[in-house]
Amino acid sequence: MAQSDIWTERYRPSAFEEVVGQQEIVKRVKSLVNSINIPHLLFAGPAGTGKSTLALIIVKQLFGDSWKDNYLELNASDERGIDVVRQKVKDFARTKSLGPVPFKVIFLDEADALTREAQQALRRTMENYTNTCRFIMSCNYSSKIIDPIQSRCVVFRFKLLEKKDVSSVIKKISEKEGLKISEEAVEALYEISEGDCRRAINLLQATASISPDINAEMINIIAAQTKPKDIKVVLDYALTGDFVKAKEKLLDVMLSESISGTDIIKAIQKEIWNLEIEPEIKVKLTEKTGEIEFRIVEGSDEFVQLESLIASFVLAGLGK
Amino acid sequence: MTSYAEKYRPKSYKELISQDQAAMEVQKFIKEFPKKKAILLHGVPGTGKTSLALAAAKENNMEIFELNSSDLRNRTKLEEILKPASEQQSLFKKGKILLMDEVDGVTGTDIGGVPELVRIIEKTSHPLILTGNDIWQSKFSKLRPKCKLVELKPLKIDTIARILKIVCEKEGIQENEHYLRQIAIKSQGDVRAALNDLQFHSASKGEDMEYLETRNQEQSIFNILKLIFQERQPFLNVFDNTSLSLDEILLWIEENIPREYQNQSLYNAFLALSNADKFRGRIYRQQFWRFLVYQGIFQSAGISFAKPQQTNKFTKYERPKRVLKIWLNNQKTVKKKTIAQKYAKLVHCSVKRAMKDFNLVKNFIKTSPKIQGQLKLNQEEIDFLGK
Repeated sequence: MAQSDIWTERYRPSAFEEVVGQQEIVKRVKSLVNSINIPHLLFAGPAGTGKSTLALIIVKQLFGDSWKDNYLELNASDERGIDVVRQKVKDFARTKSLGPVPFKVIFLDEADALTREAQQALRRTMENYTNTCRFIMSCNYSSKIIDPIQSRCVVFRFKLLEKKDVSSVIKKISEKEGLKISEEAVEALYEISEGDCRRAINLLQATASISPDINAEMINIIAAQTKPKDIKVVLDYALTGDFVKAKEKLLDVMLSESISGTDIIKAIQKEIWNLEIEPEIKVKLTEKTGEIEFRIVEGSDEFVQLESLIASFVLAGLGK
Repeated sequence: MTSYAEKYRPKSYKELISQDQAAMEVQKFIKEFPKKKAILLHGVPGTGKTSLALAAAKENNMEIFELNSSDLRNRTKLEEILKPASEQQSLFKKGKILLMDEVDGVTGTDIGGVPELVRIIEKTSHPLILTGNDIWQSKFSKLRPKCKLVELKPLKIDTIARILKIVCEKEGIQENEHYLRQIAIKSQGDVRAALNDLQFHSASKGEDMEYLETRNQEQSIFNILKLIFQERQPFLNVFDNTSLSLDEILLWIEENIPREYQNQSLYNAFLALSNADKFRGRIYRQQFWRFLVYQGIFQSAGISFAKPQQTNKFTKYERPKRVLKIWLNNQKTVKKKTIAQKYAKLVHCSVKRAMKDFNLVKNFIKTSPKIQGQLKLNQEEIDFLGK
């Protein structure tokens, strides 16, 4: 395969030895793969910590060059409905695997995006094809995966990458790409990406596309482009009593930046403590924010809920 | 007790206030019969269509043969009753007028109803007067060319107020002008409704005016908004008389809350709306339709009681803009989505994540034709990145 020019792909580890961090997990998975008989696996952990990478390494080790014929990657948050997932799984699992390994591998990414009902349905599918298929599932929170599925899987918990791990990845890539990068810039990359390696590498490449000589300031500028920065503006409008401007700005930010309601809520929740209002009111607003986040997660209309939250900020601006 | 509307039904063209033009047309039609065999009087309820037909009979000293099509709607019934009547000579008087009231009641599903009417019009030896509200429905397309069409316009507020005053004088009721005017405004040009309201109101002295609103007529969304935003009432049935769904109404309310409420009231209103929406979410997730009750209460009474007292001002309500904005934005970002899809596939992440990271990764996709090639971007997508 032609080499990718997207760095997250070009520098994705393709053997166990190349993986940075998660050493315990790598060791155990490697021994499973060597015995050829792998169980269903559940990888739980934050984004950008190597879950997909490890899944890819497993299939590459198992199937060698024919890995693509024996591997199906599905993303639960993109596939509409469990029926699509089931149909694809069926179609894929119907034929036997080629080569010495007696099963194929299905990687179900972001499995926690599936509803509980969908997971129940999936559990049957897993059982039906257990002879010909192994599932590797990934999720951010294993608590969102129903017990019957967890009990059928060996669970691995991925941790956020440590600073030394992220630094070593950044430095290795910089060297190979011929970049000049300052120590502070490496630090800034780690701080901003919060242990999410995909984000760190993307940020590095985005900055490098402007100049090969990278310092911390540039990193911060690029990173600032991608933050929902106007949340502060929205809240300021609300605090000065201009509800209409606040909600218009909010809709604008959400639409133009494709930011979901939950991400907006997270940003608001962080921003509350930077506002110039009484701490008692901050606590009140936090309570309201939590309630609104819960409602959005429960499936209400994001924007109506957020408007209700902004209305609380209007009151907060009056000292209530 | 007979209703005022019946008691004071106009008996001559002269008594029929402000429909002179229509009366002239009807008179001309009867004089010229059978040049045109049928006349179709149309207009919103309570504008005097039936009264005009009855007055026409009286004025011309003719017998009236009245049919209420709500009761007799299919072909056999029509044939049975209307046909003999249309072909016989009147026994006692010189002439006869056939009145087919409320043709809207002849539904498209009553097979043969409208075609039979058309046939009767062709054969009738007496002038046929038809009345209806909405005659522009497609089921009447065959009927319209057969008839002379005369529209009765809704009455002006002043006119209705004048009629109310005349009735008050005749009944010996003392009513203040302001009240009569309020009734006139709320009647929306419907005299019958105004008279009914007057009668009800004078019978239940001291009761609140707002009860007038419970009449079963299609309420425009603007009326509904005015009610729940400006008055303080439980309004539990306020949404019964509109064809809009609760979810559509929710959007209307959402759009217009800031036009009516500020500060504490605004907060209360959005709290109520947020609660309404919470139950809506549960309905969608769990198909538990009983929760509609709660959604309805929160977005009616909840909004109405968000303010400390009722108000009376003119507010220009706007249609909900959010859905349109989202749609427009989606049109604009179609390319973004397709690029994100291609990117996600290549780097093993979800489209959602790709959309989230888009502003970051577009920096290097934009500047690297090689990556664009690997993503198999088309020219439109590349142009989009350049913007």
